[in-house]
Amino acid sequence: MNDREIGAHGASLAPGGGSPPAPGGARPPGWPAAIGLVVTVAGAVGFVVAFVANASTGWLGGSLAAALLGLGVALAYWGRDLAGDEVISGAYPTPHDDVPGAAALGADLEQSAGVITRRRFLSRFLVVGVGVFALSQAVILGALGPWPGRSLFVTAWRPGRRLVTIDGVPLTRDVLAGGGILVAFPEGHTDAANSQIALFHFSGSEFKPQPGRETWSPEGFVAYSRICTHVGCAVAQYMDEAKVLACPCHQSTFDLLDGAKPVAGPAGRPLPQLPLAIDPQGYLVAQSDFTEPVGPGFWNAG
Amino acid sequence: MSDRRLKQSLRTAFGVRRSPLRHGAGWLDENLGGGSGLLRQELRHIFPDSWAFFLGEIALYCFILLVVTGVYLALFFHASQAMVVYHGSYQPLAGVPMSDAYSSVLDLSLDVRAGLLVRQVHHWAALVFVGALMIHLLRMFLTGAYRRPRRINWVIGLSLLLLAGFNGLMGYSLPDDLLSGTGLRIAYSITESIPFLGPTMASLMFGGQFPTSGLIARIYPVHIFLLPAAIAGLLGLHLGMLWLQRHTEFPGPGRDDRTIVGTPMVPAYALRTTGYLLLVAGVLTAFGGLLQINPVWLYGPYNAWDASTSAQPDWYMGWLEGAVRMMPAWDIHIGGFLLPAVFWPAVVLPGLIFTPLFLWPWLDGMALRDGVFHNVLALPSERPGRTAIGAGFVTFLTVLLVAGGDDVFASAFGLSLPVLLRTLQVLFFVAPPMVALFTYLIFRRRARRWLTTGP
Repeated sequence: MNDREIGAHGASLAPGGGSPPAPGGARPPGWPAAIGLVVTVAGAVGFVVAFVANASTGWLGGSLAAALLGLGVALAYWGRDLAGDEVISGAYPTPHDDVPGAAALGADLEQSAGVITRRRFLSRFLVVGVGVFALSQAVILGALGPWPGRSLFVTAWRPGRRLVTIDGVPLTRDVLAGGGILVAFPEGHTDAANSQIALFHFSGSEFKPQPGRETWSPEGFVAYSRICTHVGCAVAQYMDEAKVLACPCHQSTFDLLDGAKPVAGPAGRPLPQLPLAIDPQGYLVAQSDFTEPVGPGFWNAG
Repeated sequence: MSDRRLKQSLRTAFGVRRSPLRHGAGWLDENLGGGSGLLRQELRHIFPDSWAFFLGEIALYCFILLVVTGVYLALFFHASQAMVVYHGSYQPLAGVPMSDAYSSVLDLSLDVRAGLLVRQVHHWAALVFVGALMIHLLRMFLTGAYRRPRRINWVIGLSLLLLAGFNGLMGYSLPDDLLSGTGLRIAYSITESIPFLGPTMASLMFGGQFPTSGLIARIYPVHIFLLPAAIAGLLGLHLGMLWLQRHTEFPGPGRDDRTIVGTPMVPAYALRTTGYLLLVAGVLTAFGGLLQINPVWLYGPYNAWDASTSAQPDWYMGWLEGAVRMMPAWDIHIGGFLLPAVFWPAVVLPGLIFTPLFLWPWLDGMALRDGVFHNVLALPSERPGRTAIGAGFVTFLTVLLVAGGDDVFASAFGLSLPVLLRTLQVLFFVAPPMVALFTYLIFRRRARRWLTTGP
């Protein structure tokens, strides 16, 4: 490298160490680096004490940080001030100097590629062979998980299956006498995340069933899927006065008295309603599975 | 044999001469550079100096710290969703059934010595890593550092940002607490929204319909091996190219596109940058020790039927969260098929943002008919158009970021959420061009002054 010295100091690495003298003879003070090193030693000792004593995270982090910062300050100061203000210059590699080199590189590569392209038929066959091999490896991607099939269209709800709490306690027509909300699952499937429902009990005057769903809400019991149709969070915030259910993730809000249609936020579709019935013993049961896919939209959910 | 004589004969036996440095240097040069003197030349590698060049170093040192702290965490983390009953020292969760993964994070946070410190340093380092990459890229943008011959390195830098953000999301997901599970649920739903392929892609990637029991075990090798290896490889390329091309420099006396002026690597730059490494590590350790972050024990284990209010992703995902929140509920039904509204902000918008960013060096070169090599950086005032576009883009991201916390801002400032959301929707379209225009006008005046009177 054709270094040209424009700084105050010589180019050679002074063997045996020692900082080069500053111009004008005044040596920069060493005390900032010394303070840094003192802090490092203190911090390191403090860290060992804190670690052995099983001190709090604040003491551990504080002492270790002090040790690191002290050493960092010492070295940075050494590099900035004690090592001198040696400034050197050199040449950037530029293409202008190297045009013959680039041309020669191109010629070389062309010649090397010729080894393959001269055999025209064989070289095309090589492309086909490599391509088919690469594509064949896609089968591995297809085995990374199960294919969805119909799984997005079904939940664990079946005709006559009882509604139970997360602890498996069956729900009867006596629940929610004072209003409010219950989270329910299909009996025997309290781990089925896609089957979770929010159960409400409305009086006949306030709740108007959607057309075609007149038989889905016996005695005013109404159940909606509890998975947001936006991006699938649990729609967990119930506002009793407004009779709306809101999603904590993106604030989608669903009107429970009007088929859980979205009234605010980014969700575009209502929460699916589960058709309910009450069996002869008074237990709340499902009439059937949901009649549409629960949760966020996807291509064939149409 | 006396001690001195022993040393003397050892020296003779191993051919050690007086100065170990001199001898060691010869040995190194011979074994690394074939005795050609290459090592001496490379030790004098010139680094131009500016505070602005520290930004990339911060990112690099964050990555080093992430690897070091990550290894410590990996010693204690269990990548398993097998159900266990918690019996650790955190009383509020005593006897609660939870995944082995969540339980192991509680243990390493609360019962492993210095575990919480290391976990918090890891999290802070991830946040600063992505932030440093962003500001570093912004600095490159505003000073035209991406121009020939550094176009590929711009592409590598952007790829590093994507990988870092994605790996941050993976790491956020591993503890299997309530917030991380919610984030994964959203990621699954976004994948599901892709036309035609979405449901199959989501099922293959997540191993079935969300929530799946093997997801943590699947994310773990991606987080601790695949993506870090990709980041390390690209970082190596990035630094290798930087080494060969030399670093850019700001305009100054004696500097031009053919002449580099700066500090030699040894001793000054090496000392300084090692100091900076330690300073970055020190600041992040102080953060980790003194500033609580992601206290997962407060959130509880992930259950698909639990939800947390004001759930927020890590800050660097905030723009995407904001886009998802701002998008109106426009589900499109086409002949029995559904295109969910979330597809636009979560899949299309990132593509619209990153495609021009990746192509930017070529777009810029074409627009300015600039095909020559640049080693001297342009000052933002020199290119008011470029600076205006940068300012508009930062404004755009800021609007998205604010929207990502709209519920938090609404409750903090007593605003109505729908009004705030509508305001942000308007700002999304209006603010970036306005800011760009003002920036252009201000910097064009400055540029004219700069051209007439010099910088």
